[in-house]
Amino acid sequence: MADAVIVVALLLVAASATVAVATRDPMRQALVLSVLGVVLAVLFTVLQAPDVGLSQLAVCSALTPLLLMLAVRKVRRRGREREGER
Amino acid sequence: MNGWLLAATVGLAGGLGAALWGVATGPLRRRVVAQNLSTALACPSLLLLSQAYNRPSYVDLGLVLALLGPVGTLVFARLLADELAEDPPRAWGLTWTVAGLGAAAVTALCVATGPSRAMVKLLVIGALLISGNAIASRALSGGFRGVRGG
Repeated sequence: MADAVIVVALLLVAASATVAVATRDPMRQALVLSVLGVVLAVLFTVLQAPDVGLSQLAVCSALTPLLLMLAVRKVRRRGREREGER
Repeated sequence: MNGWLLAATVGLAGGLGAALWGVATGPLRRRVVAQNLSTALACPSLLLLSQAYNRPSYVDLGLVLALLGPVGTLVFARLLADELAEDPPRAWGLTWTVAGLGAAAVTALCVATGPSRAMVKLLVIGALLISGNAIASRALSGGFRGVRGG
């Protein structure tokens, strides 16, 4: 029974990581990445490493998407300004 | 056979599987709602896992997720505000269904724990989970349009 949880968590991690790689738009990728972070934290918990899961949750649920979205926003704004100069 | 572990497995497979499907396909509004619901579904599963493994300290994971999950959704609601403004996602039925599932899990865990400090902690996590989820959903559907900055 304990193995079933591990198998489910592993499958979820594999599926969400594949989706994160296959998504092309960076903004949608950030959404998938935050789900991947939650699923990874569940996997760490299931494998009896809740301390790793805690740091994973703290980093991946809010910080990584924030950094990604801010970077994408800045790049797009700069691209628009360049087009305006031409 | 551990019933708590079974409930957590079903919750993870069904809930997070559906959330993953929602976040992988469809228009942007659906993806944002699915991301919001994924944290709301993972939190009760983590609480059930802590009961299944009989380790009360694992409850901290649920607490951190209940606190930070809505924060992540608020980040998306703020930075995707322009994209979501024309067609705001409204998924109140789904939101309250998931909140009800979380409340049911927390209630079952409280009954199993009995009156103690651990039960107070569980109740705090449940309140944080439901209120954070409702606030994040409201922000996604454009309820806080007035607070929006540049």
